[in-house]
Amino acid sequence: MALEQFSDVVQRCQGLPDDSYTSEDHDVFTIAGRSCIAEGNSTQVLSVVLDEKNQDIVRCLGWNLLPSLIKVLLKKEEKSLPQCLAIFNHLLETCRPKELLIGLLEQLEQDDPDTIAESLHLLLNPLQKVLLCLGTRKASSLGMTLSSVLDQVAKLPLPHTKEQEEDDVFSLCRCCTSLISFVRPFVQEAKQNLLSSEELSESTNKVAGVEDELRTELLKFCMKTLSHPLLELQLKDPDTLAVSPLRDFASEILDTLSAIREPLPSLVFRPLLKRKQVPGFLEQEVRYPKESLASLAHLLFVHHMATDTFPNVFSPVFCLRSNMEHICLLLSRSEESRIQKGLELYEKSLVRLEDGSLPADLLEIKTFLTVPQNLVKVMTICQRQDLRTRGLKVFQMSIDKFDTEAKYSFFQYMLKTSNHSGVEGYIIKNIKSQIDLALQPGNGNAWFEGAHLLPLLRQVLSLPDGPETDLLQYLDRVMESLNLLRYLVIRDKVTENQTGIWTELYKIEDTFLKPLRVGLNMSRAHYERELHNIKETKKGKAKEESVLSVSVGDEKLPKMTPESQIQALHSALHTFDMMESVLVRLEELIEGNNNV
Amino acid sequence: LKMAAEPTREWSDEQLNSDDLPKKDIIKFIQDNAAHSFLNEHRLLGNIKNVAKTAKKEQLVVAYNQLFESKRFKGTEPVEEVTEQVKAVKIEEKPKEVKTEVVDEGPPKYTKSVLKKGDKSNFPKKGDTVSCWYTGTLEDGTVFDTNIPAGARKKKQAKPLSFKVGMGKVIRGWDEALLTMSKGETARLEIEPEWAYGKKGLPDSKIPPNAKLIFEVELVSVD
Repeated sequence: MALEQFSDVVQRCQGLPDDSYTSEDHDVFTIAGRSCIAEGNSTQVLSVVLDEKNQDIVRCLGWNLLPSLIKVLLKKEEKSLPQCLAIFNHLLETCRPKELLIGLLEQLEQDDPDTIAESLHLLLNPLQKVLLCLGTRKASSLGMTLSSVLDQVAKLPLPHTKEQEEDDVFSLCRCCTSLISFVRPFVQEAKQNLLSSEELSESTNKVAGVEDELRTELLKFCMKTLSHPLLELQLKDPDTLAVSPLRDFASEILDTLSAIREPLPSLVFRPLLKRKQVPGFLEQEVRYPKESLASLAHLLFVHHMATDTFPNVFSPVFCLRSNMEHICLLLSRSEESRIQKGLELYEKSLVRLEDGSLPADLLEIKTFLTVPQNLVKVMTICQRQDLRTRGLKVFQMSIDKFDTEAKYSFFQYMLKTSNHSGVEGYIIKNIKSQIDLALQPGNGNAWFEGAHLLPLLRQVLSLPDGPETDLLQYLDRVMESLNLLRYLVIRDKVTENQTGIWTELYKIEDTFLKPLRVGLNMSRAHYERELHNIKETKKGKAKEESVLSVSVGDEKLPKMTPESQIQALHSALHTFDMMESVLVRLEELIEGNNNV
Repeated sequence: LKMAAEPTREWSDEQLNSDDLPKKDIIKFIQDNAAHSFLNEHRLLGNIKNVAKTAKKEQLVVAYNQLFESKRFKGTEPVEEVTEQVKAVKIEEKPKEVKTEVVDEGPPKYTKSVLKKGDKSNFPKKGDTVSCWYTGTLEDGTVFDTNIPAGARKKKQAKPLSFKVGMGKVIRGWDEALLTMSKGETARLEIEPEWAYGKKGLPDSKIPPNAKLIFEVELVSVD
């Protein structure tokens, strides 16, 4: 039936000018044609389509057959595959590029990964062919195509391990490789355009004013790929995986950027380079998305891509300052892949610097303060243990690179702002190291001994809430403070008083040691009473409302069994014992010295 | 060193030991007149009230007498007042252009030989944007970097490296050398590692630790 209708309409329209086809002709051709193909009558359709006499209608309406054809081609086991392929190719030769483009793009959109990969594999070449026929007006069509293609690629699962990349079960690697082949002729064309416009401006002494649209679309494409899939992927280095299509893909993207005259240094250092406020500057933000630039920085500085073309003359401090912007962005995200890349980039930027080389005025730059804050979040609440550990390692490395004055300012800043006992404790440990260094002969500096040290010590040797301070919550900080004080009292002889601690001690006793003693006594008494109550309750076997409740964040954890409660209380009391022993030792040492 | 007039003894031993003279006054006198190291040795640094708590009257009398015996007054020691001012950490909203002011460390750690003279009138100043062609080699001749493309025709496509000079964006050897070059000049620079990539080198690139770098640089333009 459909075949008859199809033949009829084609015959009826033979010899007619194509602007005289009615909308009914259009519909019959389309519906009947599609049905024929779907029903398996593609041989007949092929002969109709190839017939010389029908070329006008084929040119005009042929593209409407694409949906059915492509469905068949994607299914592959169909017997009519060769015929459909022949029809498809003929249409590509005959129909108008703009219309073909619409037809092909519509079919790109698929839902499941297998079909997505197959449709890309099938359609990329035809799309390229069609676009190349569009002449100088191709830029926006190319842009639209690239956008759709990348949307489809984004739906494919990403390989994470080396084996997954080798197996490429979901064809992401293959698609990326195809994508590079797809854009290649357009990159060439853009390159050629740039060259021509330069030669023109040289010979006419006029500056080329109009931005090449093709170049713009390719830039947008590169920026998008930097974000996805490149920022999501963990590229394997050549030692791990000798042949890596994904690494090649990244490399090609970088080459493309250079080819379209987007020099990699200007891109990666963009946060620091002052730009004139170009009218429509918002467009600039869209053109160079921050996340894409961060991804680029990671490729250059962590994976060492494009080392042959990236200038080896920039100072390591300058690279660090620029990368801090990228690091800040990456570390402020919650996705673990971003955080890992942020840590890697930070590490690689720091490792090029010598210890103690960064000056204090760098701390006036906002990112040098926000990055450590982000790092604290990673160290304390990131789900992955390895990222928390790595975060701490990078944190210490960043401290080591500061010079003495910068360390001093940084410690003060972190003590004020980190709001986390563990971090504060860690900083106080660092302060102790610095004091120890400063006290060694020949090492004296103005910051960790003498007058400057005292304000820092006052910050450290204090209780956040006086005698009511929750000693368990602030355990890390309090213990480190006690350790520091004990160290000072032993190391700095009262007759030398290099650190100034001896003349401060009276104050410290009032503001720190005495309230701590009071707090310890109170806490111990309280917990001992609780322990007694629980033991009594347990004896009596009465089901009482638990007096000990633990909450994390805003959520209360399920009630603990009496045994667990007893364990927790013992643990708390043990902690107080520990604190007490240091406190007692301190009191002995101070008393001993006062009696000299 | 300015020679201040020696302070005079105000109190006799009798007066010093009497209960009428508060410890605070003795401390204040000594703090006002003694050298820093003297105060340090006698545990008299810091807040007067606190010093008064830790120091016994006898100690202060001893110190007072020792001061006049040893004549270790202010101004007799080379190192004096340590300032109590501590810079607080400022948090700026806008990213600042940080100029890393480098302390003068001695002779320049690079040498320059002019291969082709420049116009001798257009010298870049700090902050100017310069453009250069360059080739960088290690001492053994390995070329680790260049922005000069292979063929002459390709040179039309390539662009010289542009950056703001004297701002710490590039290795110090470059920053210093370029300020001495004029437009059109080509020079050979030999840069010691301290003014290049130092002890660390550039990990994972051709530049090893403690590498002396040799550049041939042509200053194309100054803006």
